[in-house]
Amino acid sequence: MTALTAPAPARSARAAVRNRHLAGLLTARGLTGLALVGTIALAGLLAPLLTGHDPDAQGPLALAGPSAEHPLGTDDLGRDLLSRVLHGITTDLALTFGAVPVGALTGCSLALLAATHRWADTAVQRAFDLVLAFPGLILALAVTAVLGPGRWPVFIVIALAEIPLFGRQLRSGILVQREREYALAARVGGASRARVLLRHVLPNAVDPLVVQTAVALSVGVFIEGAMSFLGLGVRPPEPTLGSILSQSVGYLATHPTFAAAPLAVTTALVLGFTLIAEALNRGIRR
Amino acid sequence: MRSLLLKRLPSGLLVLLLASFLVFLILRLIPGDPATTLAGPDAGPQAVAAIRSRLGLDEPLLTQYLRWLGDLLTGDLGPSYSIGGQVSELIGDGIGATVQLTAAALLLVVLLALPLGVLGATAERRTVAAAVRAFTTAVLAVPPFVTGVLLVLLFAVTLGLLPAGGHESLLDAPDLALQYLLLPAVCLALPSAAVLARYLGDGIQRALAEDYVRTATAVGVSRRRIVWRHALPNALPSAVTVLGLQIGHLVAGAVLVERIFAWPGLGQLVEQGVLRRDYPVVQAVLLLVVAGYVAVQLLTDLVYAWLDPRIRWE
Amino acid sequence: MTASPPRRTVLRVTDLTVTFDGATDGTSAVDGVGFELAAGDTLGLVGESGSGKSTTALALLHMLPAGGRITAGTVELAGQDLATLPESALRAVRGRRIAMVFQDPMSSLNPVLTIGRQLDEALRAHGTRPDKRERAARAVELLDLVGIPDAADRLRDHPHQFSGGQRQHVMIALALANDAEVLVADEPTTALDPTVQRQILRLLTRINRETGTALVVISHDLGVIAQTCRRLLVMRDGRVVESGGTADVLAEPRHPYTKQLLAAVPRLEAPSEAAANSVPGPEPLLTVTGLRKTYGSRRRAVTALDGVDLVLHPGETLGLVGESGSGKSTLARALVQAHAPSGGGIRFRGEEFGHGGERAARREVQLVFQDPYSSLNPRMTVGRIIAEPLIAHRLGDRPARARRVAELLEQVGLDPDSADRYPRAFSGGQRQRIGIARALAPEPSVLICDEPVSALDVSVQAQVLDLLARLQRELGLALLFIAHDLAVVRQVSHRIAVMHRGRIVETGPADRVVTAPEHPYTAELLAAVPRLDARPAALSTRSTA
Repeated sequence: MTALTAPAPARSARAAVRNRHLAGLLTARGLTGLALVGTIALAGLLAPLLTGHDPDAQGPLALAGPSAEHPLGTDDLGRDLLSRVLHGITTDLALTFGAVPVGALTGCSLALLAATHRWADTAVQRAFDLVLAFPGLILALAVTAVLGPGRWPVFIVIALAEIPLFGRQLRSGILVQREREYALAARVGGASRARVLLRHVLPNAVDPLVVQTAVALSVGVFIEGAMSFLGLGVRPPEPTLGSILSQSVGYLATHPTFAAAPLAVTTALVLGFTLIAEALNRGIRR
Repeated sequence: MRSLLLKRLPSGLLVLLLASFLVFLILRLIPGDPATTLAGPDAGPQAVAAIRSRLGLDEPLLTQYLRWLGDLLTGDLGPSYSIGGQVSELIGDGIGATVQLTAAALLLVVLLALPLGVLGATAERRTVAAAVRAFTTAVLAVPPFVTGVLLVLLFAVTLGLLPAGGHESLLDAPDLALQYLLLPAVCLALPSAAVLARYLGDGIQRALAEDYVRTATAVGVSRRRIVWRHALPNALPSAVTVLGLQIGHLVAGAVLVERIFAWPGLGQLVEQGVLRRDYPVVQAVLLLVVAGYVAVQLLTDLVYAWLDPRIRWE
Repeated sequence: MTASPPRRTVLRVTDLTVTFDGATDGTSAVDGVGFELAAGDTLGLVGESGSGKSTTALALLHMLPAGGRITAGTVELAGQDLATLPESALRAVRGRRIAMVFQDPMSSLNPVLTIGRQLDEALRAHGTRPDKRERAARAVELLDLVGIPDAADRLRDHPHQFSGGQRQHVMIALALANDAEVLVADEPTTALDPTVQRQILRLLTRINRETGTALVVISHDLGVIAQTCRRLLVMRDGRVVESGGTADVLAEPRHPYTKQLLAAVPRLEAPSEAAANSVPGPEPLLTVTGLRKTYGSRRRAVTALDGVDLVLHPGETLGLVGESGSGKSTLARALVQAHAPSGGGIRFRGEEFGHGGERAARREVQLVFQDPYSSLNPRMTVGRIIAEPLIAHRLGDRPARARRVAELLEQVGLDPDSADRYPRAFSGGQRQRIGIARALAPEPSVLICDEPVSALDVSVQAQVLDLLARLQRELGLALLFIAHDLAVVRQVSHRIAVMHRGRIVETGPADRVVTAPEHPYTAELLAAVPRLDARPAALSTRSTA
């Protein structure tokens, strides 16, 4: 019974797990994503420092091109585009970073509830089906039909839409992990059902949710944009990326510079989230 | 297969029933008195009272709901409030165009995703796989309403190849109708095609790592045949599930696309309905979409079982 | 064999070397392996995990997993070097000249294609049979050949409609489809029950004899090789350490590793060693009477336990043998209260489960799992894993638990400092020790061991068996030792119970059950055990046609 001690100290698995996410992020893909999102978020946060213009103040110069006074030009009402885009970023990020966690936590709580009993599982599944039966913008239409357009409807739509996505993902993760032998081992070792679920199964089932979060953030930006485009979003004059973009669409042929900035920022933001999600996904799979 | 249908049908119907109740509630959840809201600010008390009695607002909620449901099932959708005309006529006018658009988009989704997915998963050269990946990422990163506008700019305004918007009956002038259909359908299909291509690609890649592919290789089956005849059939069932979800997104996306391309479908109708607070129209369209979606999910389950024999025999 | 003429060499492997990208220490997975195979010959490759035996097999057909490359050596098939052949030319060799049978018949058949389709794919792959009907007829013939009943009707079935053993028969039919000269079987029976294993080995031997196909069998089990191959290579760390005639090597091993390997193999002939560990107490500790368990709906109920009677005494090892589906694991899980039985009763220390007995049993009856990988939570440190039962049973405060964990680790032969590490840092044998330490944590009096050594290499297996014996000596544990390997069970058990279709068909002293079985099923199980001294059937010079 010699030579039974473990080989040279390996990295601890917790570090390895964190590193799997980290290792995914520290690739070219992940770093590009982080840089894109980071730059845009920082620009939004520093909006008051970067521009002296009031985003809602109308000026005499409508649809002007870039100039020293208006680095990105002005919109159809003569408002400074740089200021509007920067403040729009803040609105968008506040909405998505606020609504996605709400939806995620609700979905995950429901998934945990579903794990407690067969009937709870059926009820929760039907609830997820019910939300999914109103896909994307249809949900937005239903919510705004009741509440009218505005900031909170956008928030509610984003959160609602994410509930079944997070919930289903976690539920299937729990179902897989619960069948693993370590869960039975914990049960045989005397742990209560709740303890097995929360301390043993759950930590092994959350990995895909990290990826899902990055995806959800990009979906949030999309929903905001689409709702603004249809006139169901945040009420004017408050700027959002979606509202500036939908305003500019009418002038695309004649004044393409109007659309350039909001389009670039929206695309970069979504691209950033998508790249981060992909990078995390690859990190997990490795 | 039949037992599967019998197993899934009840939960589908349950979801439909619950959804119909939610849709019914829309009118009752509006802040303030629905009758007053519906009648509009200029209406006299008589008009309000008329609406109140027609909606049966003084009866218990469940009775109201059952009556509403009964009316729906007999096809009596009542008059619209502000758009004008009977709701059933409005829907009849729009549904053809929307079905046409989403069906064309669905076809494009499958036609685009299948080769893209296979290519992305199996391309021998890294550059090809990377190009596929870059394309799908780009499509997913640009909001669809922007894609639509860019398509119009490029193909209609700059190149003048296709009309910028509008609709032509498929029966009267098929060639012209297809020209009108092409841009909106492509715009609607692109994001879903990108999503499906990714799932399919991932699924094929996973299947290619399985032991049975090693078996097929060991008996001498060619690489191409392994991909199409051995790996793809294993990736298809879950891709069908994704496609089912994407059909929902196509219908939802149609609301945007119809707006961009002035396509006279249900999307335009329901958007108008929400903005002009025409609740019967909104309710009818929402319920129609939900019913369609539930039916698609049921169909998806059946196709899944048909594709995966392990489910079929359970 | 005096009369047999010198046979043509079909396969000559010389100095074969395989390295994997990123192998940091610069070692090769396969390092200079060489052998020759004559037409109709049989050759065994034996070794423990990591010995490179499977990699050698895959390298023959250039089917190495990603990152693996042949860096030196040749694989000559009838004078042609496969190692340098391009992919397109290799395809013509795969299945046509050299065919393979893989280990896991569950995952090696395509789940969504019918068996007929898969056979058809193999038959059409080399373009020798353009006619579809001809291929279908040949497919039926192949299934007939490997002994699948009602072959014609089963072409339209999918893999999941076959049993595990039947699937392996289908795999062999696939390999035989194009009359290859060489058949390579990589662990062909590892996942299978002994009686099925015997069928497969007999089939391989029959094919070798009747069709003259040269056979290469790769296995960790010396018994399997002894039953099928005339010659064998012993591999370790990618190298061949010894080779020669199977009978000679087994009778007179020259290399120390071969000797060590042979010594570690449990022999069915060896008498039980349990009496040396402990003397079972007179009062029963755990009594099972008429235990029943059915699964599924009322209409399609599956009976897993069909009235099991069992008695376990303090300090006793009761071996429980049976094949998969016999209900062994269901019984184990019922004893640790992982599920509620449908009928019958369990008594612990004289008290019925459900009337107080279950509370004491929850702490005192613990389980050791088969799979040392999936039974340890990957997100917890070893210390946490072992401390979990202590926390659950509220035994001791934090420092007391830490002391107990250190003590337990030492008891199972691990460094107490391992408590801070995660399971992935340990080998299979070490993980099994961790699992045992966890089971010991709440100071149980009964340890249910569900196939505790069947996932381990023989040398590691011997160490874990030693550990269990020592623990029984020191702690006076009662063990219910569940396994399918009769030789192991005889070695460790005082008594043996044989389980078949949810019932105990025979119970008795370990040596008596093995030497003089009373139930025909026990005799069947015993006959299926591959013995080291068995002469390969292929070797027999009987010329019965």
